[in-house]
Amino acid sequence: MALLRFTSLRVLRCLLTLWFAVSVTFFVVRLLPGDPALAIASPTMDEAQRQQILADFGLDRPLAVQYVTYLGELLQGNLGVSFRQSVPVSEVLLERLPWTLILTGSALLLTLVIGLPLGVLAATHRGGALDRVIQVGGVVGQSLFVPTVGIALLYTFGLWLGWFPIGGAIDDDVYGLEAYASIARHLVLPCLSLVVLQIGAYVLTLRTNLIDALGEEYCTVARAKGAPERRVVWKHALRNALLPTTTLVGLQLGLLVGGAVLTETIFAYPGVGRAIYESVGQLDFPVLQGAFVLLAAAVVVANLLTDIAYGLLDPRVRAA
Amino acid sequence: MSTSRGFGRRVALGAALVLALAACVPSEPDESSDGASGDASEGGDGGGELSIGTTADVVNFNPLVGNSRTDSWVTNLMYPAMMTIDDEGTKVPALATEWGYGEDGLSAWIELRDDMQWSDGEPLTAEDVVFTIDAIKAEQLGTVSGMIGAYESAVAASDTRIEFTLSRPDGAFLNSIGFWMPIVPEHVFGQAPTVADFANDSDWVSAGPFVLTTVERGQRYVLEAVDGYPLGEDDSGPALDRVVFRVYPDVNTEVLALRSGEIDLIGNALPPSVARDVSGDDELQTFSVPSLGWAHMQYNMRRPPLDQVEVRQALAHAVDYEAIREVVLGGNAVSSNSSVLTPTFAQWVDDTAEEYTYDPDLSRDLLAQAGVENLELEMIYDAGDPNISSWAELVRDQAAEAGITITLAGLERNTYLARTNDRDFDIYAGSWAIIDEPQSNFHLLFAPDGFINYAGVNDPEIDRLMVEASTALTVEDARGPLQELARIVTEQVYDNVMYVEQFTFAASNEWTGFQPKPSELLSVVNPQSLASVRAAD
Repeated sequence: MALLRFTSLRVLRCLLTLWFAVSVTFFVVRLLPGDPALAIASPTMDEAQRQQILADFGLDRPLAVQYVTYLGELLQGNLGVSFRQSVPVSEVLLERLPWTLILTGSALLLTLVIGLPLGVLAATHRGGALDRVIQVGGVVGQSLFVPTVGIALLYTFGLWLGWFPIGGAIDDDVYGLEAYASIARHLVLPCLSLVVLQIGAYVLTLRTNLIDALGEEYCTVARAKGAPERRVVWKHALRNALLPTTTLVGLQLGLLVGGAVLTETIFAYPGVGRAIYESVGQLDFPVLQGAFVLLAAAVVVANLLTDIAYGLLDPRVRAA
Repeated sequence: MSTSRGFGRRVALGAALVLALAACVPSEPDESSDGASGDASEGGDGGGELSIGTTADVVNFNPLVGNSRTDSWVTNLMYPAMMTIDDEGTKVPALATEWGYGEDGLSAWIELRDDMQWSDGEPLTAEDVVFTIDAIKAEQLGTVSGMIGAYESAVAASDTRIEFTLSRPDGAFLNSIGFWMPIVPEHVFGQAPTVADFANDSDWVSAGPFVLTTVERGQRYVLEAVDGYPLGEDDSGPALDRVVFRVYPDVNTEVLALRSGEIDLIGNALPPSVARDVSGDDELQTFSVPSLGWAHMQYNMRRPPLDQVEVRQALAHAVDYEAIREVVLGGNAVSSNSSVLTPTFAQWVDDTAEEYTYDPDLSRDLLAQAGVENLELEMIYDAGDPNISSWAELVRDQAAEAGITITLAGLERNTYLARTNDRDFDIYAGSWAIIDEPQSNFHLLFAPDGFINYAGVNDPEIDRLMVEASTALTVEDARGPLQELARIVTEQVYDNVMYVEQFTFAASNEWTGFQPKPSELLSVVNPQSLASVRAAD
């Protein structure tokens, strides 16, 4: 019963978050300067034709009517039809979503795999040269701008060394294992770009928390009992220090998805982020709205699933 | 506790990654369904693959609806135009062989080649042309619908001859539909309830040198060669096996891709600074083609004191045009002698036209004559245009020499379009991409109700000359009124034409046979060019 209540509340919270995201997106895209009919119109079209374009898009109706219509369609799973491509938005986005999942998923995985050991190294060598190097690296990584990193990687590894492709996500005519290898090769630079920008937050957070944990009494007790320092760090201190890091994953997920817009654009990676970039220029409201809803839903659902799993595994959470 | 939560996330993350990968890995091709329609006899004879960089996806595969540059590059390779354009800006035969008007100008005819067919084996006939123009008229489709105001009806007099009935004489009618109207297959497009809503996003049928077979949005568009296209260097079809358009975020990334060998040709024109850099690369070749439009400034005559011709002339004489062409454009631009009849179109050029001289003293005198002091104006332009963003600063600094204060407003493109459309500016800086038929296009520019009459021109003499020019059925008859009109535009500074850009395109030296044509729209990716490309020896 507690689990049902817990799950219901979480689902309700997610629905409210999604509604908020949908509403904000709907109004924000309409605040964009310009007029979709102008973005599409050619000089030889007359005023009547341009008005017809607006009418075809439903943009001649009052904003409130457009909003209610949009919500109604959304509840039926209809994201609308792209202004520019005349195909369903769901089709446009589903074609691109897997690439964004691969990029953001592997960037997150790689960040954790590299970032956590680095954080431990920095904390266990507190004040030493290694700690300083890791800290400076982390701060620099956080301060960098996505295009700066992206262009530097493209020039170095794409053009000069020629190790990785300049753009795209997969080569032509590759199948099976060859296709996986091609995807991995195209993934390296955009993924690395996201890892460089994110990893600092994980390393520095874990370092601080681990240093705090290592000073706690339970670690002193463990040491007094004769536990080797390695065991104290990995078995006792790290588990507690990881708590805030886990929270950070949830917080960073939104930033990661946001970073994907720029990264995908720079590396010509065909994901949802790039669709957003293109749609802004074209004032393609349905695709913009659909992409934002999809990304918001992905973040919300990922958090919901882990919350539910967490609730299943830990009764104290359900009670709370 | 944290471990279990983290484990859950990792499992979810791993599962999402595996699912995403599975969705992205292509399955082995099935010989029985290659995406192309019917039994297209595949062309290319081991000629290889030409990769072309573009900065945008195809947004619409229906050539009667789509109007973006990449849309046109791809669909032009499948849906032939009846005419193309030569180096002197003259319309020349493509699908059509001959054309003409009846004596009263109320009828016209076009004769087609008899050796063109669709890739599914159906012949391309006059019926396809009639279907196309009727669909455009009935459904008011795209750019061409604005060009066929005089069109009433058409009949296919034979498989190769179309006869048109016009409501009034229109000397630009045939050239406009010949160049701008892609012919679509009636047996395919006619199956859709409405042509406007026909997405044409699979099972493509082509009468061009290539047919689209694979679309991966955001990545690539693959077109396979089709045998029998007669308009390339070899009339048996293209030498290439296939052409692939690859999507990159911008020209700079395209240049990286070209230099790394990832692509063979950049479809987009290179900015002058990049063009200079690329032209020194031994492994690349460059092509220069003229624009079919011009770069210009327009002064909003609805706003005093810009309604005074002396003020507009003062502004025109406060700019060093040659410096802009040499410094900002790096010499990749030519003077149009301040005339809207640019040197790209040899048949219209007025040899007596002269460019406004750069003379700040004259500007001051003209302002004094107009009784205007401390002139302060705002100039809007698209901040995303690297050329205009650069020369706008020169214009501001040079105008200051003449005592005119210009405030620059570089705007995001959609804002710029909106303000231009609302006529909310003092000075507008921009460029026309293609003004290829002055007989009809000038109406858009200078008629009181013209859609792109940004300056607010309302001149009865201009209106009279436009009617005279548009009803003239020969170049000789239209030239006089057009040149007179252009002289008035220059004198009155209705449009301050600054230069005609010479676009530079770059390709790998590994290919030869390109046939460049004017404009970024045609450039080296026009159907005749790509049908003629082959590997260099």
